[in-house]
Amino acid sequence: MAAAPDSFVRHAPSFKLIQAHFGLGLLGLLLFSAALVLRAADVTGFFLQPLLLGLVHLCVLGWLMPIALGALHQLVPVVFETPVRSERLAWIAFVLYAVSVPVFITGLWTSALGWALPLAGSGAATAIWLYVANLAATLARSRRRSLTGLYVLAALGWLLLAVTLGALLAWNLQRPYLPLFHVALLRAHAHAAGLGFFGLLIMGVAYRLLEMFLLSHGASERAGQVALVAVHVALLTLVPALAFQLGRPALALAAAAAAVGVAAFITQVAAIFRRRLRRRVDVSWRYTATALVYLSLTAAIGAGLALGPARQPWVDRLPLAYGFLALVGFAGSVVIGQLYKIVPFLVWLHRFAPYVGLKRVPSAAELLGERPKQVQFALMHAGLVAFLAGVLIDAAALRVCGAAAFVASSLLFVRNLGVVLARQP
Amino acid sequence: MSAAGAAALVEEAARDGLLEVHDPETDLNLVDLGLIYRLTYRNETRRLEVLMTLTTPACPAGDIIIDGVQRRLSLLPDVDGVDVELTFDPPWTPDRISPEGRAFLEG
Repeated sequence: MAAAPDSFVRHAPSFKLIQAHFGLGLLGLLLFSAALVLRAADVTGFFLQPLLLGLVHLCVLGWLMPIALGALHQLVPVVFETPVRSERLAWIAFVLYAVSVPVFITGLWTSALGWALPLAGSGAATAIWLYVANLAATLARSRRRSLTGLYVLAALGWLLLAVTLGALLAWNLQRPYLPLFHVALLRAHAHAAGLGFFGLLIMGVAYRLLEMFLLSHGASERAGQVALVAVHVALLTLVPALAFQLGRPALALAAAAAAVGVAAFITQVAAIFRRRLRRRVDVSWRYTATALVYLSLTAAIGAGLALGPARQPWVDRLPLAYGFLALVGFAGSVVIGQLYKIVPFLVWLHRFAPYVGLKRVPSAAELLGERPKQVQFALMHAGLVAFLAGVLIDAAALRVCGAAAFVASSLLFVRNLGVVLARQP
Repeated sequence: MSAAGAAALVEEAARDGLLEVHDPETDLNLVDLGLIYRLTYRNETRRLEVLMTLTTPACPAGDIIIDGVQRRLSLLPDVDGVDVELTFDPPWTPDRISPEGRAFLEG
C-alpha cells in the first residue's frame, strides 16, 4: 500500500504499525474461533482448567488485545494531537508481544511447558508495560484534556495492574509462592483486565468514535463522568475484595457501583445517539447496540454471582457465561463493529485520499457494501446466543452449533476486511 | 466586467468546485457540511483565499480535506494559487449544515 503524503494526519503513526497489530489480532480471532469450535463440547465446569485458561487468553491476548493496542496507537495521536512518543518502542513491544504470547497460551493450554510458561508470561507482561509507558508518555505530552483521555489513562493504569498480577500468577502456577489464594488473585486479575482495561477503554473511546461516526454534537458529558467514577468505585472495591476474599458486603457494593457505571455509560451513549445528525444507522452501530445488551447481561450476572444463592449446578455455570458475555459478547462486538469503521477509513486515508479534489472518490463506507456485514453480524450473534445457551443449560451440541456459526462469522469478517484492503482508486 | 464582478464569478466557481470535495465519513460535500466560512479571490495576485473549519479540531481527516480543497481549487482557470486558513473561531456547529446537507444526512 502506498504511503500517505506527509500532510496526511500529521500525528498518526505509520500504517504498517497499525496493520501489524490488526493482522495479529485477526489471526488471533481465527485461531480462537477454530479452538472454540473444536473444543466447544469441553467448555464446561470450573474455570481454572488448562483448556479454559488457554481459550480465555487466546481470546484476550490473541484477538482483543492486539486490536485494542493497534487502535490506541491510531486514535491517541489523532485525538490528543501529539505523535506516539516512540514508534520504535511500539515496534519493540509488538515483537516481544508477538513472540511471547503464543508460547504463553500454549503453556496455559497444555500445562506442559515448565518454566517457559512464566517466562513467556513475563515477556508478554514486559511488552505490555512498554506499550503502557509509551502511550502514557504520549498522553502526558498532549495539552488536550478530555473525558476520553481520562478514560484511556485510567484504562492504562488498570492494564498495568492486570498484567503485573498476571505475571505473578504465571510464576505461581509453575511453583506456588504467593501468600494469597491463587483462584482469588485470578479473579482479581480478570476483573482488572476485563472491567479495568477493556471496559474503561471501550467506554472512553466509544464516546469519541460515536460522536465522530454519527456526527453527533453537543451531548452533555455528565453521564460519562458518572460512569467513570462509578466504575472506579466498583473496581477499587471489587479487585481487593476478590484478591483478599473480603466477603459479600464488599462484592455487593462493587456490583451496585458497576451497575450504576453501566447504566451511566448506556445513558451517555444514548445521549450521543439522540443528537446524531446521521439518521441512517449502519452495522457498526448495531454492533455497539448489541454490545450494550451483552454488557447489561454481564452486569446482571455479575450481580447475581456476588449476591446470589449458594452453589447450585446452574450457578456454577454462571462464571463461564459471565466471562463469555463480557469478552466475546461485549468486547468482541465492539471490536468487530469498530473495525468495520476503522479499517475502511484507514484504507481510504492511505489509498484514496491523494485523489480528493481531483476526481470523485468513494467514501470510506462505500469500500464495502452493507450486505456482507449484515450477514456476518447475524452469523456472529446467532452463534454467540446459541453458545451462551449451551453454556447455561450445559448442552454440548448447542455449544458446538454456536461455535460453528461463530467461526463462520469470523471467516466472513476477515473476508470482508480483505475486500476493503483490496480496493483500489 | 468590473474587477469585483470577475472576482465574484471565480468565487462562485470555487464554491461549485468544493461541492465535489466530500467528507470521507459522511460523504457530504464541504459546502453543504458548512466547513467553508469564506472564499475571497484577489484579482491582483490571482490567488484564492479560503477560510474554513473542521467539524472538530481532532478531525482525523483534517489534513486530507484541506489538501483536497487546495487540489480542487487549483484546477480552476484564473487561479494561480490557493491559500487555506483553518479556523475554529467560531467553531463548527450542526447549525452550519445547509438544508440540502441535512436532507442528505437524514435520507
